[in-house]
Amino acid sequence: MKRFSAIVSCLFLLSIFAPQAFAQNVLKLGIPLPLTGTNAKFGEIEKKSYEIALGEINAKGGIKGKKVVLEFEDSQGKPEVSRSIVERLIDVKKQPVVFGEYSSSCSKAVAAVAEERKIPYMVVTGATDDITQQNYKYVFRMNPTNAYYATGLMSFLKEVVKPKTIAILYESSDFGTSGAEDMVKQAAKVGIKVLVKEQYEKGAVDFKPILSKVKAAKPDVIYMVSYVMDAALLMRQIKELRIDANLYAGGAAGFAIPEFIQNAKEASELVMTATLWSQQIAYPGSREYAEKYKKMYKDYPSYHGAEAYSALYIIKDVLERAKSWKPDDIRAAFKATNMMTAFGPIKFEDKEGYTNQNFMETLVMQVIKGKHETIWPQKYASAKYVYPIPKWRERK
Amino acid sequence: MAQLELFLQTLISGFLLGGLYALIALGMALIMGVMRVINLAHGDFMMIAMYIAYWLFTFFGIDPYVSVFIAAPAMFLFGLGIQKYLLTPVMKVDSILPHNQVILTVGLAMVFSNLATVFFTGDYRSTPVSYASSAWYLTDFWKNSPVELSLSMPWTLSFIIAVMITIALWIFLTKTDTGKSIRATSQDLDAALLMGVNVNWVRMVTFGIGLVLVAVAGCLFLPIYYLYPALGKQFTNIGFVIAVIGGMGSTDGAIIGGLILGIFESMTATYIGMGWAPAGRFSIFVAALVFLPGGVASILRKRRLGK
Repeated sequence: MKRFSAIVSCLFLLSIFAPQAFAQNVLKLGIPLPLTGTNAKFGEIEKKSYEIALGEINAKGGIKGKKVVLEFEDSQGKPEVSRSIVERLIDVKKQPVVFGEYSSSCSKAVAAVAEERKIPYMVVTGATDDITQQNYKYVFRMNPTNAYYATGLMSFLKEVVKPKTIAILYESSDFGTSGAEDMVKQAAKVGIKVLVKEQYEKGAVDFKPILSKVKAAKPDVIYMVSYVMDAALLMRQIKELRIDANLYAGGAAGFAIPEFIQNAKEASELVMTATLWSQQIAYPGSREYAEKYKKMYKDYPSYHGAEAYSALYIIKDVLERAKSWKPDDIRAAFKATNMMTAFGPIKFEDKEGYTNQNFMETLVMQVIKGKHETIWPQKYASAKYVYPIPKWRERK
Repeated sequence: MAQLELFLQTLISGFLLGGLYALIALGMALIMGVMRVINLAHGDFMMIAMYIAYWLFTFFGIDPYVSVFIAAPAMFLFGLGIQKYLLTPVMKVDSILPHNQVILTVGLAMVFSNLATVFFTGDYRSTPVSYASSAWYLTDFWKNSPVELSLSMPWTLSFIIAVMITIALWIFLTKTDTGKSIRATSQDLDAALLMGVNVNWVRMVTFGIGLVLVAVAGCLFLPIYYLYPALGKQFTNIGFVIAVIGGMGSTDGAIIGGLILGIFESMTATYIGMGWAPAGRFSIFVAALVFLPGGVASILRKRRLGK
């Protein structure tokens, strides 16, 4: 009888406190993202990825026992909208930590607000170098900076290919030009001689004239910075002219997407490209994430998705390690971050003029048997790289 | 030797490219000659033909070269319709601006490229044919050749078909009654009217043939290039530049003009830089207008009279 009354009183107590306890057990996080406007496609990929991570985290008990609720706020890709969203999150909703946004310009606007209000902000996908070069104390960035995109490829060149000369072809746009300039700098650092540096008009039909020039120069490596279709045309015409370099490499973008293989067909075989992340890389959890995404949305996510997915795990890790949820404790926890995510290793460091910047090895993918395989760094490789590559004449 | 190889390879590329350029310009020049209309939707008609060939390839596996026989007649009928229901009525309207039809073609160009974006999205597409990067090599035929030259299979095939179409057009224009009526209308509209030529019918047929030519060009470009809705503008520009170099409305001039531009662009790319190609293209356009207002056609005419 005594036991029975004890249980009843327990139940009674629970029924009184449960709703209150429930309210306390919810952690609401607002995320600014471009859900309309020109960047909406990327906003959507990220939103879906945050939701996948959210489902997994809540299924395992949330963050510090609190159920997480994400509230996506549409910034339309406009920095001023983004800023006002974050001001509201910090001033009205008293959110202890801010993360999200897609473009560099929006991330920059949010970073300024966060620094001013002394609330930690984690940049997820913004890549412009200067976001983390302004000595901001409360701004952390998981995305490698623009200048580091080709580091993985460079280390492969240094350790395996050991080239003496390089030819650089790039499209005459900001993206192409900055990519080419960066490669020139990196090549100078390791003593690779640039034999040909040629820009081309995007959408050109016939690359054979500049390719003939490249052929006459006989470079060890041909490096190309191109968007979607130019990449495929370039490789097709390289095959046609039988330009035998030791290595054909692309600077991400047009070379790193499945469309490249579909369009260049056998001319794409053994071509390498720099990339930040790929769906078959062997980071813990990344393949599971990619497959889950594909099952739900019929397509593999881009690296932006992987970053968003991992971002929520980083936030969970930081909030769980923080002594309290005061901004300075959270900041200290961010500083001490050293974890592995589906996007790769995350650690916020101060070096080379950057503050709180995550430096990670970017990857190299190679097309092997008509599929993009990660080949470098070797510890994350999904397949062994194929090098030296056979001459065109000997290929079947 | 390497320099010679570079030069010859550039020449080959320029020649092949020029042949395809000529085919685009040919249709434009024909329409220009007969109707005194600059068809600024020419490239967009090419885009439509390419989409036809693309979908035939995707759904039925029909090779783009075979699609020529489907896309070209389809575009012919389309051309007849456009001329009959849009261009002819506009011609009758009085307005302050003399070239209503030209403005109409600009409008058509925008409508077509925007509709294509709506229906087919802005995605880049191509037909991954198996022979896309096949080529013949000089050293395969002549073991000890001092230079290595290559000849792309699809480019050469496209070039040969372009030449065949051009010859067919020439036979049509010189040997058939309809062809003769077209040439008569092109040379002197009033005289043709007096001789009992049904000018409206001739205009329809001409516009149709112009579109057939550009449709063929589109099908020939598909295996070596790619496709997206806004592709038209680039090729309208090229066609227009060539038509001016060749002498407005002259079909012979368009063929030579096409080859000139092709070789010029390739040479610029090799010896100056590929980034200069657009600048080079428009500087010979201006040069042709200033120094040779009648285009290549005026030189051809002089030589003929000299004989």
